[in-house]
Order: sequence, then C-alpha cells, then structure tokens
Amino acid sequence: MKVWVKRALLGISAVALAAILGACGNSKSTSSSGTSSKKDDSLLVWCWDETYNTKAVKDAIKVYKKENGDQKVKVVTMSQDDIVQKLNTGLSSGSTKGLPNIVLIEDYRIQSYLKSYPDAFADLTSISKKSKFSAYKSAVNQVSGKTYGVPFDSGVAAMFYRTDYLEQAGYKASDLQNITWEKYIEIGKKVKEKTGHTMLSQDPSDLGTLRIMMQSAGSWYTKSDGKTVNLENNKVLKQAITVYKDMMDSGIVTKVSGWDAGVAAVQKGTVASAPTGAWYSSTIQGAKDQSGKWAIAPIPRLGANSKSVNASSIGGAGWYVLKGVGNVSGAKDFLSKTFASSADLMNDLAKDIGAVSTLKTAKQGSNYKAEYPFYSNQKVFEDLLSWSNEVPEVNYGLSTYQIEDVMKDPVQSILKGESIDSALKQAQSQAETAVQ
Amino acid sequence: MKTKNRISNFFKYLILIVLSVISIFPFYFMIVGMTNKTIDINTGKLTFGGNLMTNLHSLFGSELDFPRALLNSAIIAIAVTLLSLALSSLAGYGFEIYRTKTTENVFNILLLSMMVPFAALMIPLYRMFSKLSNTPFQVVGINTFYAVIIPTMTTAFLIFFFRQNVKSFPIDLIEAARLDGLNEFRIFTRIYVPASKNTYSAAAIITFMSAWNNYLWPLVVLQSPDKRTIPLVLSAMGASYTPDYGMMMCGIVISTLPIAILFFFMQKNFVQGMLGSVKG
Amino acid sequence: MKAKTKKTRLEKSGWGFVTPSVILITLTVFIPMIQALITSFQSGTPANMHFVGFQNYVTMFHDATFRSAAFNTLLYLVVQVPIMIFLALIISSLLNDHRLKFRGLFRTAIFLPCITSLVSYSLLMKSIFSPDGIMNKMLLSIHLINVPIQWLTDPVWAKVLIIISITWRWTGYNMIFFLSGLQNIDDSIYEAAEMDGASKIQSFFKVTIPMLKPIILFTTITSTIGTLQLFDEVNNITKGGPGNATTTLSQYIYNLSYKYTPNFGYAAAVSFVIVIAIVILSFLQMRLGREKQ
Repeated sequence: MKVWVKRALLGISAVALAAILGACGNSKSTSSSGTSSKKDDSLLVWCWDETYNTKAVKDAIKVYKKENGDQKVKVVTMSQDDIVQKLNTGLSSGSTKGLPNIVLIEDYRIQSYLKSYPDAFADLTSISKKSKFSAYKSAVNQVSGKTYGVPFDSGVAAMFYRTDYLEQAGYKASDLQNITWEKYIEIGKKVKEKTGHTMLSQDPSDLGTLRIMMQSAGSWYTKSDGKTVNLENNKVLKQAITVYKDMMDSGIVTKVSGWDAGVAAVQKGTVASAPTGAWYSSTIQGAKDQSGKWAIAPIPRLGANSKSVNASSIGGAGWYVLKGVGNVSGAKDFLSKTFASSADLMNDLAKDIGAVSTLKTAKQGSNYKAEYPFYSNQKVFEDLLSWSNEVPEVNYGLSTYQIEDVMKDPVQSILKGESIDSALKQAQSQAETAVQ
Repeated sequence: MKTKNRISNFFKYLILIVLSVISIFPFYFMIVGMTNKTIDINTGKLTFGGNLMTNLHSLFGSELDFPRALLNSAIIAIAVTLLSLALSSLAGYGFEIYRTKTTENVFNILLLSMMVPFAALMIPLYRMFSKLSNTPFQVVGINTFYAVIIPTMTTAFLIFFFRQNVKSFPIDLIEAARLDGLNEFRIFTRIYVPASKNTYSAAAIITFMSAWNNYLWPLVVLQSPDKRTIPLVLSAMGASYTPDYGMMMCGIVISTLPIAILFFFMQKNFVQGMLGSVKG
Repeated sequence: MKAKTKKTRLEKSGWGFVTPSVILITLTVFIPMIQALITSFQSGTPANMHFVGFQNYVTMFHDATFRSAAFNTLLYLVVQVPIMIFLALIISSLLNDHRLKFRGLFRTAIFLPCITSLVSYSLLMKSIFSPDGIMNKMLLSIHLINVPIQWLTDPVWAKVLIIISITWRWTGYNMIFFLSGLQNIDDSIYEAAEMDGASKIQSFFKVTIPMLKPIILFTTITSTIGTLQLFDEVNNITKGGPGNATTTLSQYIYNLSYKYTPNFGYAAAVSFVIVIAIVILSFLQMRLGREKQ
C-alpha cells in the first residue's frame, strides 16, 4: 500500500514538473506573442459582469465586424474591484504593459482617474459628442472642456414596485407617478399595514438612496469643482437625510447587508418596491415567477426642495481609451462606430441585457417601443429613457467613495438620534482631513 | 467510577460531534449549492436540487475558462510548494546547524519580514517587476508565472518552521556523517531530508494551501486571461450584477477538493511534522 | 589552528545554505519595504508625489476612519485571539486520547474550515446570520431571544459576527499545533497528576497549559500577526460595515490605495503603523513568555 502511494506521489510530481517546465516554456512564447499582438493592432477591452457588460461588448464587436472584418477585438471579464486595482497598480507604476486599450469605468470613479493620471487617457472629444447623450452623463467624463469617455449604460433611477402588493394597499399606478419621498413613506406604511410586507430593503452601509436624493436636486458631497467638501452647509443633503431618517424610522424598511441580501429580499417577495438604478431590471426579472407583478414608476423627489425632480441616477459607467497601450486610433474607431453612435446596437442591448442607453437616438429602436409582459405590459424602456434625459447634471468629483465612507458613521448616529447639524459638522471636518 | 467515565466519555463525543458538524456544515452547504439554482442558494435552501448538470455545464462552458484556471493554479501551487520546501528547508537547516552570531542576527532580521502587511509591499513590488519589462529579464516580468512564484517562494515563517524542526534533529547523526567524509550538502540531502518526511509534509500542506488560495498578488501581476488562477476566476464570476451562485459553488467544490484530499491522506505526517516545529 | 579552519569552512557552507533565501527575501520584502517607508513621507496623486515629512503620520491622529479601524483591529485582537487559543487547547486535549474512536475523522473535520475558499465561506456566513437565517431561527426557537438579531447591520453584533467567523475559520488550524505538542507530553505525567487526586480540569490547567507554553506563545504570535493584518474576512462578509463598525487597518490601507483616489503615501504610513504595532506586541509576548518560564 505504502509503496503504491509513494509511486503515485512520485508519478504525480514528475508529471507536475513536466507541466511546469512546459508551462514556463509556454509562458515565454505567449508573452512574446503578447508583445507582438500589440503590433498587430488587436484591441483588448476590460469590463466587469459577464452577463451584462461583456455581452454588450460582444454585441458591439458583431456590429463592428460587419464593416471592419479584419480588426481583432478581445474582451476580458473581471470584477470591478479587480479592474480598479489593476488600473491603479499599472498606471501608478508607469507601466502600461498588459493594460487594455479600452476599459469600462464607473461614473463615480472616473474623475479621480482623470485627475490622478492626467496623461493616461486619450481625448475622445472628436467621437463623443456631448449633444448625442443624456446631458448628465457628460458632466462626469470631461476635464477642462475635453471629453475623455463614451457614455454607456444609464444609471437612471426608477422605482420598481410590486403591483399586487400596492393594489392590496389600495394604490393604482397613477397614484405613484411623480410622488415625493414623503408620500412614498406614507404609501409604505399603508402597504405594511395592509399586506405585512415592508416597502423596501436598505443596506445601512450603502448610502445609494441618499445619492439618488441628492442628484435629483443637482447636489453632491462635493461642490461643482469636484473638490470642495460640501456636507455641513449642504441644504439638499440635510433634506435628504431628514427624509432618509423618517423612512428608516417608519418601520417600512427591511435592513440587509450586501448586494445579495437585497436581491434575496426582492426574489423572496419580502419587499414591495426597490428604488434603484435601471440596471436592476435584469435582477428583478431573475424571479420569473413574479412576471406580470412588477411595474416601474419615476423615482420620488424631495418634497422639501423645489429644485428636486422625479429623475436621478445611480451607478452607470462609460468607456475610456488608454493612451499608452497603443493603437489609440483603432480603439477610437471601434467606439465611434459602436457605443458612440449605433442606435441599432443600443436596440440589441435593450433586448439582450436590458441596458438603458444614454444615446438619445436609441429611442427610435423597436425594443424601446415594445411592451414588456414582465412589467405588466409597460413600455419600460421608453419610460426609462425619457427619465434619463431629465436627470440633473452633477460633477461626482474625485472623492465620492471616500467621503461616503466618512459619512457612514455620522449617518448611523443620526439614525440613533444625534442632530443632523452636529453630525454633519463633524463629518465635514473628517472628510476634509480624508481628502486633503 | 466506571459510570462516571462513561458519562465523561459521552460528553467528549458529544462535544466533538457538535464541533465537527459546525465545521463541516459549510461543506454541506457548498455541495448542496452545487445542485441548486442561484435563487435557492440566496434563500438558504439546504436540500439537494436538480440543477447540478446545468451548473456544471455553465461552469465549464463559461467564457472564464475554468479548466485553464485549474491548470494554472496547479502549476503555480506545485511550483511554489516544491521551490519553497527546498529553499526554506535549506535555510532553516543552515541557520540552525551553522549558527554564528552573524547568522543569528540575519535570522532575526528575516523574522521581521513576517510582520509587513502585503498591501504595503504590493506597489513597490509591482514596480520592480514591471521594470524588468524591457530588459533581458523580461521572461520573469509582469504577466508571467515566475512573477507570481518568485515573491511567494520563500517566507520567513517557513524558514522558522524548518529551523524549529532541525532543533530536535539528533546532531550526532550529522557529526557521524562528517567523520564518514560526507560533504555538508550531501549530509543535508542524504541524512536530514530522508529523516524529515513529516516536517516536509506539514510544510507542503501549509504552503500549497496558501499558494492555491493566493489572491491579491496574482491579481495584480497576471494580466492576460489565459493565465488567471482559480481565485481570480471565482472573483470575476461573483462580480456580476446577477451572480450565478450554483455555478460558482461547483467551482468552489472542485477547487477545494485538492487540499481536502491532500490533508486527509497526509494528516498523520502533518501532525507529526508540526510536532518538531513546536518543540521549544 | 586546524579547528579554526574547520570552523570557518563550516561557516562558509552555512552561508551556502541560507544565502538563496536571504537574497530572495531581501529582494521581495525588504527592498519594497524601504521603498514603502520612503513613500510614507510623501503625498499627492501617483503622478505627482512630493515629500511632506511626517505629515501623513500627523494626519492619522485626526482621522476618524483610521481611529475606528485601529480600534476594531485591536478589539479583534484582544477578544478573538484568547478565545481561539483557549478553544483550540480544549479541542486538542479532547482529541489527544488514543482510545478515542474516529480520531482522524474528527481531526480532519475540525481542520477543514481553514481550507475553505473565502468566497463560499463569506456567502455562507452571510446566509446563516441573515435576519431570517438559521442562526436566528435556532435562537428564537429555544427562546434565547425574542426578536431576530441584526447580525450584519447592527454595529455591535457585526463585530461579534466577525469574531465568530475568524474563530470558526482558524481554530482548527491552531488546534493542529497543540495536538502535535501534546504528543510530546508523556502519559505518565497525567497519571501522576491523577494519583495526586487532580481532576481532568485541574490537570488541564496544571499540566497541559504549562507544558504547552512554548507552543501557546508561538500560536499567539502568529495569530497576532494574522489579526493585525486582517482583511479577507471583513472585506468579504461585512465590507467593513455597518458604517465603519467592522473595518480594519488592512482594509483601510486597501481602500486608500485602490478604492479612493489613490493616496499611496498615506496608505504606506498606515501600514507602517501596523508594522510597528506587530513588532511591539511580538516583543512583549516573547518577554512575557520568557519571564514566566
């Protein structure tokens, strides 16, 4: 027995060694072909989410190949955190080796990249015309008048809701159009009373709802320069936190931790609505048994603020071209013929992945005019696109996530009863220390 | 007296069984998860479902090339383990057998290296490897397996571990071999190595485990998708707006198996091998 | 004279044994470490770094996120390490019995958690400890609690959850060290203690713990290092939340380098605080260990 084990182990290690030697030889050849592949002008695209962004790039490649059959384009899926980390490591060490030609970057983060690595990104002004996209998207990808990105999916906010629960509580679709958050809470209480279901789920560590509220009135954690921390004297933020606290105190919220728990709350039928970004649609449709029980209404606005509108945004991303990697013109050409202009592509994407385009011409597509049985035959894409054009412009600045991490503790203490003014005063000085 | 023993025995088994169940439960969860749909996993379903084939199919059909990642992980982990055992046992042996004041100081400084968080080293380390790019050394630069292997192939912990084991090695054997005229390196390979199988198996398990699960450094240094390791592929799968947990559970089970099997078959040696390291 | 040449010859071959490792560790740890130390005196965006002296270190004193991260890290250390070491000691002395049946099985089972992949482990923890998860259902059914505990979203319970998670994952690993050490203790010592009328519990405290002291010291130091660098568990289970209630120093370093607009200078400074803390604590622990011997 023992001899047998020994022999087996010997055999395994011999094979392993052979494999290592082989692989190392291999890696040499692939790395050299890797460098030569840069010369043959093939394009490399990085993005996250195999079921969403990657599919979008593949559709784009199909569209592009019709005219430019020779161009090789390859797409690689990674998690967003991984992309962020690799870009930072690569760009900060000044080595672009292995970095992609085109990369997807979230709207909240892009300003920080453009300012931290000013020479890393290619100027896309010539292919990405501001007038072609929802206006708010252009506020994030520009530095001193130059456009560096091609806007991609819309993070337009919407209120997804369960028609059956709301009917039980006595509300029709028309009662949910253009409401305020105050009204939303009132409805939530009624729903809770009549059906026992909570109105929404919230992760106390994710202040996305506050972001939605702020942007609906054109405000943010920083002033319009993207740098000056704006918490202590930010009227909109105070109004938003007031409503947020009312909502959390009213008993209509199921507290969850993390993305998956929020998804579970929807799929288990725990909650009656989800006020979030349009990209949540594919997740909701994951619960196939709930088909016909969902509908979409405009996101509520801040009742206390006259500037607040029933349109906002959360998340969303854009495409950027890295200069140092080579073949900038090829990358620009690819983007200009696909994401920057093709309404047909946007039409395909609406069907394939449920992405709401930020390209204004997309509304001509047949899928944008279609009715969707899952959403009780609502023309959801038409609605979402029209709200998308109403979203107020906001410069997300350099430090959205950093300030939000500072904000988390003060928001917790406000929920426990601390006064908003004193908590925000403290947050202001902490945030100033943090972003200095 | 006997009944008392019986009662205490009963409690002993009870405690051990409860602890084992708590420890094994996650594996049950993983295995059940292999057969379920994402929505069932999200809602905490604990019974077997009928989705195994679909999950396996999506795992092996995924763009992320799971089999390739398995192979990459195996190559890296085996290479790290073999190199690491060789280098660290040499050093641990050397520090103990040829102890002088100077080597003792060098050893103490080496121990300091255990205390630096990797997050702090990552950027300078990356810079170092990327500088190799346009030199003749580029074969070990960014985006090669060598770049993953080199920084992880010796650790102060493992040198320390081997050194502790050498402490309990009978020095007479070495002296006798010297009298027989064996040179120092031969003594190491002929006398020490064969007698320290247990130490090597314990070290092998620890090293293989950390190399197999290593995430941060491979993530930074490996760029092309065909070089990705298991943890990187799993992370990419989980980072979707709608992650397919059924598929991921299959990947997780398959990737955990090698270590579980390794441990089960080597556990006797493993425990024995640890023994030497913990003798004062 | 002859003895001396023999000695130098031996010393030379000694260097032959250790040099490869010394060179490698110098290249991959110490040189980057010195670069990080230099970086810790700099500030600015990666493309535009400039020297600022000790400013990064001064900033830390006013930085609330740093304070909560440091507090949490210390709390995990003070609470979790002793619990885990004690648990591992008990389990190993239960397992150290030749008459015990299924020893190998128990041993493997209890060791398994530390080889679980982080992804499945965090998924599982989140599911077990969700408000309507198994843990709450169990506690409710035995009437230990009346309302479900918000494990993941309450600042205090979230810390408890992190401590439970680390303990679950690493107790078996430490147990193996103790198990090895116990094999060194002769059964006759226990028999003698029993003859003197010591109960099992007494001999655990009077025989087992003193005999295992070097190992306890060893595991305590490695666990201290591990806890002060804690990142994986927190980043995957709670993401540091709710608020910053569970965040750790290592996670803060990661965030400063990768999540926010990169500030490598400040990140490096924070990491040197960890290095200093580890050096001091290991030194103290070794001192304590020696004095009592």
